[in-house]
Amino acid sequence: MTLWLALLLAILAALSLLIGDATLALPDGLIFWQLRVPRMLLGLLVGGGLGLSGAVLQGALRNPLADPGLLGITGTAGLGAVIAFYWGLGVAFPPALLVGGLLGAGVGSAFLLGFAGRAPSGPSLILAGVAVSAIAAALLALALTMAPNPFALAEITFWLMGGLADRPLWQVALAAPAILLGGAILVSLGRGLDALSLGEETARSLGVPVARTLRLAAVGTAFAAGAGAAVAGSIGFVGLVVPHLLRPWFGERPGALLPAAPLAGAALLLAADMLVRIAPLVLPLSAAPPVGVLTALLGAPFLVAVARRGAP
Amino acid sequence: MIGVSHLSVTLGGRVVLHDVSLEMAPGEMVALCGPNGAGKSTLLRALAGLLPEIGPPEPCRVAWLPQGARSAWGLTVEQVATLGRIPHRDQAVAPVTRALQLCGIEALRCARVDRISGGEARRAMLARTFATEPEVFLLDEPTADLDPAASHEIMRLLRTTADAGRMVVIVLHALDLALRYADRVVVMADGRVTADLPAEQALPAAAAAFGLPFGTDPAARLLPPC
Amino acid sequence: MRPKRAAVWVACVCVAQFVFGAADAAEHVISLNLCTDQMLVLLAPEKIAALSPLSRDPSLSFVAPQAEQLPVVRASAEAVLRLHPDLIIAAPYGAQTTLALLQQEHVPVLRIALAQDFAGIRQMTRLLASTLGVPQRGETLLIAMDALLEALPHPGHGVRALVWEPRGLTAGPGTLMDAVLHAAGMTNASDGSRIGLEALLRHPPELLVVPTAAAYPSLATSLLDHPALASLPRRAIPPALTICAGPFSAAAAAMLAR
Repeated sequence: MTLWLALLLAILAALSLLIGDATLALPDGLIFWQLRVPRMLLGLLVGGGLGLSGAVLQGALRNPLADPGLLGITGTAGLGAVIAFYWGLGVAFPPALLVGGLLGAGVGSAFLLGFAGRAPSGPSLILAGVAVSAIAAALLALALTMAPNPFALAEITFWLMGGLADRPLWQVALAAPAILLGGAILVSLGRGLDALSLGEETARSLGVPVARTLRLAAVGTAFAAGAGAAVAGSIGFVGLVVPHLLRPWFGERPGALLPAAPLAGAALLLAADMLVRIAPLVLPLSAAPPVGVLTALLGAPFLVAVARRGAP
Repeated sequence: MIGVSHLSVTLGGRVVLHDVSLEMAPGEMVALCGPNGAGKSTLLRALAGLLPEIGPPEPCRVAWLPQGARSAWGLTVEQVATLGRIPHRDQAVAPVTRALQLCGIEALRCARVDRISGGEARRAMLARTFATEPEVFLLDEPTADLDPAASHEIMRLLRTTADAGRMVVIVLHALDLALRYADRVVVMADGRVTADLPAEQALPAAAAAFGLPFGTDPAARLLPPC
Repeated sequence: MRPKRAAVWVACVCVAQFVFGAADAAEHVISLNLCTDQMLVLLAPEKIAALSPLSRDPSLSFVAPQAEQLPVVRASAEAVLRLHPDLIIAAPYGAQTTLALLQQEHVPVLRIALAQDFAGIRQMTRLLASTLGVPQRGETLLIAMDALLEALPHPGHGVRALVWEPRGLTAGPGTLMDAVLHAAGMTNASDGSRIGLEALLRHPPELLVVPTAAAYPSLATSLLDHPALASLPRRAIPPALTICAGPFSAAAAAMLAR
């Protein structure tokens, strides 16, 4: 099954290289390498990071609604990136954008997993995440209003809804190691997440270092989802939806989802990105909508369905 | 040998265990009995190495089953049992199958834990402890969701396990099961051990802990027919 | 809009809105719009009671240094009235409620349509200069402007240039920058529509005209520095010269022609 996913992903990646703004053709060298390839790579990395973080967060928090966006981690990452970018820190030191995003994600992650330690998993955790998300979005809007460049405030849709377009290759190259590092950390947590299915104390009695597992989940998510948000804005719902799409095929054991989650996340995001690029051909739109619009439109009903299924 | 010596535990400002000492040897089944809030579960946790005062856990040697054990996900019975192999870092099939057979749930190995009856799910959780192949079993109310026949079946299994040289410590509310199958009954009340006696002598002390009347009339005794 | 029609429209709008007789020129003039601010500073700085705050922004205003020494006021009726102006100059759009209130208080308001080409610039300069009672200064500015324009080369085949602004906006026919490109002897590659990075690369112009790099970045402004555009020849023009039309617009053409 994982192999089929990998094949699907390869096909989507290839298709993604063929679609430009409102054209379907193989473009010349410059457009291909400077625009299409970075976009496709970014989709792979960001989607993979989001899918994997979602799977790990759901396992670590034992909550089927956990998602790096819903829990505010991509929001705080965006805030960190905005502060670094709009005040020109990235001009002298290009990785500043990424560092800002990682710091922001780290703060959000640490707060959330600290909170999860005190309160049992369940609605209270999601509420805490929603609060973090709301605060991050408000501070983001404030930061953009105060930013020295007059175009800043209008760019809030990018940061809140995400976008893979026109990101230069060097930014993708900057984010890649961070996302891959986060992914490597997250993938190693399978055993711990399986044990956590039975509760934190039972997991400890099985010899799993629970506190360390949760901390690594936080760090891994901060890298994998945070680095992506620093470059591509806050793309929501991918992390929420991916584990649910995979469970019918891979079973509900959290560790079983981990190898497939990044593949599914990447495929989902690439597919969404292609759809938004094709949208202006079919609908009366002047430009392609941000990709986060599509993931939200598909993901939010999903969220409602899952929440209702879980309710007594 | 496992045990605790002069252990006192305070949780959330309340003294839960007060100067408790307990020792066990291989081949013994010890029942912990007493009213709610006596500290039985906390003592079991202490034996499992889960309390900061006594740690760390020895996962390959000691298997702990909490009260009301539940899986957060719809795992299959087989997957739940396989979780017992986590301390050994393998997914060995033979111990898992044996555990499922012992607990009488092998026929449901592919069923989801959230789709079977409470008793069957409890057996699956118990199978997880057997899959670890531990030396010590620390079980909190393993017969809670089981009907009388099933309860006896499980108690017989645990008796056989103890006879094979393992140590079994089991928290039980059902005094009849404790008195019938355990070697020793440790009676607790208000965080203290009030009695630590061989099973056949323990009934008066156990009944006293509950404040229940005790008589010599066989009909009033709590032993069920075999 | 084509130059002739624009000029006629400017005249009609002004005649329709003009309340003050040309004989008594105003002495305390307030401008509420960046473009009229700049014209005011060039024509009659001594008559200025206040300008709009944007006049001091060096990235937007050609007259920012002078505006630093002059008072500014935000477009609120109360603030404006307190300065007792005898003439308000504003653009055709914006500050509707404020200006309506001011007109209620019988303060003369002159709405000037913003010029989109050099003919329009001449019309606008002359109109403002006469309103302010300084027609000679207006002529002086225009003579200088025309001299600069004459000095520019007029090649038979112009370079195909595209003015590309943040968010992919381009200057189409009939806009100020279109006139500037033509004055510099170039042809305009744009038809007025927005074009994204990929579309730009598919049909690249011979010259890319972009605003000079902003002091602080934004996604829109840093897009102009995308590595994919590195191979396209480009000229940077300060936004102060591209936003508002005025005699200084000839300087923009001169920068391009160099």
